[in-house]
Amino acid sequence: MTTQIKLRDCAKTFTDGTRALAPFDLTIEGGETIVLLGPSGCGKTTILRMIAGLEFPDKGGVITFDGDDVTHQSIEKRRVGMVFQSYALFPNMTVAQNVAYGLKVHGVSREESDARVKAMLEMMHIEMLADRAIDQLSGGQRQRVALARAIAVQPRVLLLDEPLTALDAKLRVRLRTEINALLRKLGITAVYVTHDQEEAMALGDRIVVMQKGEIAQIGTPREIYCKPQNPFVADFVGAANLLDGQMRDGRLHIGNHVFDAVDAFDPRHGAIIDQGPVELFFRADGLSTCDAAHAHFTGRVEAVSYLGERLRLTVSGIGMHAVMIDTHADDIITAGADVHCQINPDRLTVFPARGDSTTAVSQAR
Amino acid sequence: MSWAHNIKEGRSRPSFPFGFSRQATPGVGSPAILAMLMMPGIIIVAAFFLIPLALVAMRVADGPDGWATYFVILTNARYFASLVQTLVMSAGVTLTALVLCAVCGLFLVRNRFAGRNVLTALLTLPLSFPGTVVGFMVIMLAGRQGVIGSISDAIFGEKFVFAYEISGLFIGYLYFSIPRVILAVMASAEKLDPQLEEAARSLGAPTWRVVKDVILPGLMPGLISSGAICFATAMGAFGTAFTLATDIDVLPMVIYTEFTRNANVAVAAALSIALGAMTWAVLFAVRCFVGSSADVAPRGGA
Amino acid sequence: MRRDWKFYSQLGLTIVLCLFIVVPVVMSALAGVTVNVFQGLSSGLTFRWIIEVWDLYTASILLSLWIALVCLAVTLVTGVPLAYVLVRRPGRLTRLFEELLTLPVAIPGLALALALLITYGGVSGYRSSWLFILTGHVLFTLPFMVRSVAAVMSAMDMKMLEEGAASLGAGFWRRFFTVIVPNAKPGILAGALMVVTLSIGEFNLTWMLHTPLTKTLPVGLADAYASMRLEIGSAYTLIFFVLIMPLLIAMQTLADRGKRVSKRIETAEDTL
Repeated sequence: MTTQIKLRDCAKTFTDGTRALAPFDLTIEGGETIVLLGPSGCGKTTILRMIAGLEFPDKGGVITFDGDDVTHQSIEKRRVGMVFQSYALFPNMTVAQNVAYGLKVHGVSREESDARVKAMLEMMHIEMLADRAIDQLSGGQRQRVALARAIAVQPRVLLLDEPLTALDAKLRVRLRTEINALLRKLGITAVYVTHDQEEAMALGDRIVVMQKGEIAQIGTPREIYCKPQNPFVADFVGAANLLDGQMRDGRLHIGNHVFDAVDAFDPRHGAIIDQGPVELFFRADGLSTCDAAHAHFTGRVEAVSYLGERLRLTVSGIGMHAVMIDTHADDIITAGADVHCQINPDRLTVFPARGDSTTAVSQAR
Repeated sequence: MSWAHNIKEGRSRPSFPFGFSRQATPGVGSPAILAMLMMPGIIIVAAFFLIPLALVAMRVADGPDGWATYFVILTNARYFASLVQTLVMSAGVTLTALVLCAVCGLFLVRNRFAGRNVLTALLTLPLSFPGTVVGFMVIMLAGRQGVIGSISDAIFGEKFVFAYEISGLFIGYLYFSIPRVILAVMASAEKLDPQLEEAARSLGAPTWRVVKDVILPGLMPGLISSGAICFATAMGAFGTAFTLATDIDVLPMVIYTEFTRNANVAVAAALSIALGAMTWAVLFAVRCFVGSSADVAPRGGA
Repeated sequence: MRRDWKFYSQLGLTIVLCLFIVVPVVMSALAGVTVNVFQGLSSGLTFRWIIEVWDLYTASILLSLWIALVCLAVTLVTGVPLAYVLVRRPGRLTRLFEELLTLPVAIPGLALALALLITYGGVSGYRSSWLFILTGHVLFTLPFMVRSVAAVMSAMDMKMLEEGAASLGAGFWRRFFTVIVPNAKPGILAGALMVVTLSIGEFNLTWMLHTPLTKTLPVGLADAYASMRLEIGSAYTLIFFVLIMPLLIAMQTLADRGKRVSKRIETAEDTL
């Protein structure tokens, strides 16, 4: 029963002329969970709404569900299940009536509907809330009802639009785990929109990273995390440290130091970067503190945050911007001290320098 | 990069009228359905409001003085005097009602005591009394058999009767204005943020300063918009004057007399249009001034 | 809270204002059941005047109720969809229409009546029937219905609810009747009460539009005040109060309940 979804040449220009999405292709395999990840305004919700039938792509775009062309079908005919950020539960109905609504619309018999509603509520562990009014529910309970309602109609695809954003942090993690288990259990095709990369990593079979109406990268969480294909993705998935360098004859020069074994493959151009200025992205583990003798850099500690299992230092004086360095939790380092550090070339992601567009990335964050 | 900043995710808010565009927001009801939904309302407003209004405007031109009839309200001494009288009366009633209701409305919202709800309910009682009934209430109060007359008779040995004078009319207008204004005052007083007042007090402001700097500015939109409604109602009030049946020359009475007794349709129409335009202009000005926030609940979105 | 002279002076003013409103109401109610007003209550109480009013004015009272109900039906059928479109599709044209719709409230009833008379006064079958009065009432009350419904509709996230229903397969009419209308119920109810109350009490328009055969309750009232003895006028007023009071109380209760509900939503906490 899993449905494969294909979007071909889909673009979106709003009626006021703003271009929300550049033309793109996307194939979502049956039973797969795809996460659309990106900062607000990147067009991820627009893609979701296109799949739902709430927006139509510009002329030329084609959307198919298992080969059936649904491009011009309106949402009520597409049999999608949708979960909204603010739940969209009907306040004039009880929990059970909300879940039964879609079944009633589809003409499911009373007995079957009752049984299905009961099963849904049990699956979401909210059977005791069946007769409650919506305004008596907490946010977490509401989101469970919204999920139950969307799944009850056995949709061809489940669409989740930032479903956890309105909840507090602890609840978010808990529901995320449950949604993950649910999606695996149902084996349903699902599209999940979020701006939270942790959520994306936890839920997605594949992640689509979006930037300014374009797809920046599609890949498994591991690929996105370890092999970001461009500076935006690297920056967005958390490799927030940035240094400038030079490639000369396949060797990386940072300041006066030269590194040999660097993976400087540029996936966008499909070539090894041999020459020219480069940008180096790396996480907090890309640099480590060391003694003065082995140091590549010396910087000044601006701030120290205690993260429990480790200390995170904000260090200035190494690159253009301050960098984050993690160190042992039991090190005693205070703000204002000088710190020596070493670079781990294996942890660097190398991209050709973008010139002034560097600032654009930091704005987008 | 420039367009990227304009993207509002998934929320196309077209600036087109109605947003009727083939692809605006599918699945929400086609333009045909929306047009169909509006049709009965549009027909009623067009057939029984717009067209009659246009015809009245035309009819004025059929009078002996042609289009100049429109200015009769300014050129004819009797009409002009009546206009001034109506304006002064309406403004006076509005101001009085605002002051009285601001005090009582604030008091009722900010204090909890036994009988509070009863007082509120009683004050809003005449909300939908027709003008005639209000006129009758004035007679009950200040007429020949009225309470005030009886009391003054018992104390001074003389009956005070003023129902049929201009002061009686004033009382009547006040009578139907109070419920409207007090409801509006109470609604905006309930929306006042008590923290603002606490902040002002914490900064050492004495009571009169708190009232002047915090409470009154907070109430102002409500006061202005309810004042406008009150003024408009007073300008057009007819039943009260009609029931008190005196020679009080408020504009609606003049229009009525011109139309029925003198069959002077053109003048009656011209005066009506002038009256309507003035009232509407006051309401419109106030809406522009205060913003529609005063009476239109915030639109969903965001 | 400490109660000082300020509290009591404000309370005093409020009570005086209340007396101003209530005393004439009570007076007229009493006068309506007094044998002879000029002699006062000592002359005894009677239902004679009320019965007399009932004999004289049954037709007007019933006509008023009938017109109010039909007016309600018309404003429901036209006003609710109108409010929906105005809220759902904000734009320049809808804004203009909204402004247009407030005009019948702003423009004095007399002027409106005059316009209707000049336009349709010659259509004899229509002019002399109750439908002519109904027209005026619909024009006058429709804005109140639209306002009331639109206020509730714009307070709920209608777009989201509709998308939710659509995603579950519901077509437009199904969404309209199972989701939009039920959730706008408080506004519809408040608007309905308002329309009925206003229609029963409408005088300014009606006085100009009525014919001797189509008198409504307030027209009859004016008639009684002008030409009958004080007791009859009072008794008639009493009947009007009895008719209108339940509507006013219902409106107040509805408003109070609305306030309580919105408070409950604010305090819903997150306990999973």
